Amino acid sequence: MNRETVIGLEIHLQLKTKSKLFCSCSSDYIGATPNTNICPVCLAVPGTLPILNDHAVALAVKIGLALHCSISDNTRFHRKHYFYADLPKAYQITQYEHPIAVKGYVDIFAEGKEKRIRVHHLHLEEDAGKLVHPTSDGRLTGAAYSLVDYNRGGMPLSEIVSEPDMNSAEEVIAYITQIRQLARYLEVSDGEMESGSLRVDVNVSHSNPDGSLGTRVEIKNVNSLKSIERALEYEIARQNKVLDEGGHLAQETRLWDDVAGVTRSMRSKEGERDYRYYVEMDLAPISAGSEYVRKISESLPEMPWEKLDRFIKEYSISLEESLRLTEQKETADYFEACVSEGAPPIKCANWMHMEVQRILHDLSIGINDFPVPAAELGKLIIKVEKRELSNTQAKDVLAVMVEKKASLQDAVRLSGVSDGKISGAALEEAVKKVLDSEPEAVKAVRDGNDKKGAKVKFLRGLVMRETRGSADPAEVSQVVVSLLK
Amino acid sequence: MEFHKLSALDIAEGVKKGNWTASEVLSAHLQRIKKFDGQINAVVTLSEESADRDAKEIDKAVAEGRDPGPLAGVPFLVKDNFCTDGIRTTCCSKMLSDWIPDYDATAVKKMKEAGAVLMGKTNMDEFAMGSTTESSIFGPTLNPRDFDRVPGGSSGGSAAAVAAGFCPIALGSDTGGSVRQPSAFCGVQGMKPSYGQISRYGVVAYASSLDQVGPITRNMGDMAAVMEVLACADPNDTTCDSYKRPSFSEAALEGIKGKKIAMLTGYDAESMDRPLIEAIERAADYCRSAGAEIVEAELPITMKHAVACYYMVALGDASSKLACFDGMRYGHHADGRSLAEMYKRSRNEGFGKEVRKRILIGTCILTRGYYENYYVPATKVRQMIADEYAELFKNVDALICPITPALPYKKGLVEEDPVRIYLGDAFSSIANLAGLPSISLNVGFTEEGLPTNVQLMGPRFGDAGLLAFARSIENKAGSPQVADIENKGGCGE
Ligand SMILES: [Zn+2]
Repeated sequence: MNRETVIGLEIHLQLKTKSKLFCSCSSDYIGATPNTNICPVCLAVPGTLPILNDHAVALAVKIGLALHCSISDNTRFHRKHYFYADLPKAYQITQYEHPIAVKGYVDIFAEGKEKRIRVHHLHLEEDAGKLVHPTSDGRLTGAAYSLVDYNRGGMPLSEIVSEPDMNSAEEVIAYITQIRQLARYLEVSDGEMESGSLRVDVNVSHSNPDGSLGTRVEIKNVNSLKSIERALEYEIARQNKVLDEGGHLAQETRLWDDVAGVTRSMRSKEGERDYRYYVEMDLAPISAGSEYVRKISESLPEMPWEKLDRFIKEYSISLEESLRLTEQKETADYFEACVSEGAPPIKCANWMHMEVQRILHDLSIGINDFPVPAAELGKLIIKVEKRELSNTQAKDVLAVMVEKKASLQDAVRLSGVSDGKISGAALEEAVKKVLDSEPEAVKAVRDGNDKKGAKVKFLRGLVMRETRGSADPAEVSQVVVSLLK
Repeated sequence: MEFHKLSALDIAEGVKKGNWTASEVLSAHLQRIKKFDGQINAVVTLSEESADRDAKEIDKAVAEGRDPGPLAGVPFLVKDNFCTDGIRTTCCSKMLSDWIPDYDATAVKKMKEAGAVLMGKTNMDEFAMGSTTESSIFGPTLNPRDFDRVPGGSSGGSAAAVAAGFCPIALGSDTGGSVRQPSAFCGVQGMKPSYGQISRYGVVAYASSLDQVGPITRNMGDMAAVMEVLACADPNDTTCDSYKRPSFSEAALEGIKGKKIAMLTGYDAESMDRPLIEAIERAADYCRSAGAEIVEAELPITMKHAVACYYMVALGDASSKLACFDGMRYGHHADGRSLAEMYKRSRNEGFGKEVRKRILIGTCILTRGYYENYYVPATKVRQMIADEYAELFKNVDALICPITPALPYKKGLVEEDPVRIYLGDAFSSIANLAGLPSISLNVGFTEEGLPTNVQLMGPRFGDAGLLAFARSIENKAGSPQVADIENKGGCGE
């Protein structure tokens, strides 16, 4: 049996522009009162005309270049017609025959190896409004009426259409993750599936033994990586079962039901709508000249895969460690700032992976909100290298830096580890802790039942253990005695 | 003072000099409209209050020594598909019968900024679809030159208003002849500038790639002055070209000595009304006597395919641009049990017969299968037509040809012979397909008092040069006078 699952994706990225694609309405619509972020243009008031947002074009070109696409020097918009309440013009302005970027690729890591996924094209289009159905499950069925919010209508989207080059859910997840990472590196989109700034439609088919492609099924309504994984698992099994039993697959669009864990047929090829695509004459063709493309190309930041390679080479750290560090640009930047203080890269990587990661997790924050500046962490790591602080002490210091938002210097003083010793207030704290935990011994001493001084010695020993031997024994005796008075 | 017989430029000059006030001029025109529009039905909405206010503003500016603008105190009317802030804009359709925009179309705004005073809105074929101004919900407009005939369309109300002396300037929109054909039928001057010359912002669309705002006047001096006011780039319309416009008024004064003008040949002149053939010969003679050289030109591709091509492009686009009228956010709304039913009922009730017919044909043209067989070839033919003209204008400066094959139709012909009316667009629609400037110029009247106009065409963005040709001919032919509507039509005193 030489049948293999073949998967292609359409990824919609909401572009981070200041205004919508064809009008001056703000793109900052999330949380806004419904239908307040609208204007005559995005409401299709008679007589209005679309005005193309140049910034959106620049962002699309940016993504196109990062995906190794060629940028078309003569690109046009088309109208895609359908009547629905979320679409005021009754057509969506999109790109059809002349997309802005074509024929690219992106390399992914999946199943332990690198794989190249070809990008068929990337195009710009406007988003539709949002329908709200006042039923308990938010579905149209059973709703007495529906409400429409046009705030999202006209938001700029960039649709990235891949070739059917993926063969497993793991590859699909790796591809989406790669595109999301790219979008964030380029700062062109938030790339969040939860908020809808990254949306995915999945096309599942199979290759026949003769190499031809089988019937294509499109899966919609997959709103998280988890549901994509589950939907694929279900759909691949469903298709294999149908084919194993000698049946035929229908070319159709299926909706993923996350609760039931199944895909359901939405419409078949026969019922496929004719969108009557044709050229949008209200917008002149766009000519992204070579000079324009060159400028954008020069403005591109280091790509995640370039950073990954450089980290491995420049810092002699493992592939695994590099992958972790470069996953987010901000993490990579933090790491490099840390290293630039003179701290050893491997140590920095360890600290970030272990300590910083743990704190971020505990506080549920991202690296951008981590209160310790990278340079300070670098200096702390250097102190450990110089054996001025033990690892344990350094961790305590870091904890103080986070908790009290203290500088390295202040944190060292506050945690009483100056010159490698615990003394003063920190020592007093340690002694109090020990005394609190040994009420019987303390009572005995205070009642004068420790004539031989054995109990004091015992308490002093506990303090030495608590301070891990980094306190001066004479000072410990003094503090213990004074606190026992 | 018979203000209604004055040209726009004369009115403005008198206002600026203090010979008369904008308010006086306005009230004379309003009076004339009220007295005679009951008969011809050219005006569908009068906005006396705002007009009065605007005229007083002009008078105040003059009194305070401020520049009131080149069209100071000139009353004007616009077709009812131009959005006007606070004044209902109906497209003469039930669909928009109660719609009041909250913004002015760029062209309206420009006119106001130039000191012109907007009096109201003119009658038109519903959604600009027609050539007779008989499909309006406000009823038909009559031709001021002959009450038994139609004024042409779709800007019939604007052309009739200028001919009737209701205003010296009216604006129309021209998709396939909608400014120039009614100008010809009513015996006034109408121009469709190059595509991209005037902003389309705020004009309810018929077909995006064909629509262009066009002025209607009684003489070319006024035409050049209006062009100078209207033609400029607009950030709200990116299809409006950003090139630096020449001074149209100055250009119009230039002579045509030594210029070359082509007379179109190779069409079926036998089937045309005889006086219109004579009009072309007359216009050519005027050109010759002004020192221009006349040559002949054939445009075989254009003459064979223009009408079919035009209807493919126009109706395809119309079905798309009119899809937004679903009765949900504005316009006529009918209830239904589902969204689809609401759409169907709203659109069926809101649109008239001709509009529904054109939307259906247009939808069909864009449907898979038909699109490849009709629309795509039409766009290719359109390019060939544009190329044929580009080639022609390498050798000549302008082209003279008919604007319509017939004198004004008798009322009701559209019901009897709609195809004949569609074919009437053969000459006028070419300029829209090729994006060229075109002027419908009056060169006199028949013995029965019916107007005879000719068409002048020039190269893309050669609008200024074309105005010079038209002006030179007009200097010999004379400019048309206000129709004698007091005596039920005629070519004027
Ligand atoms: Zn908007």
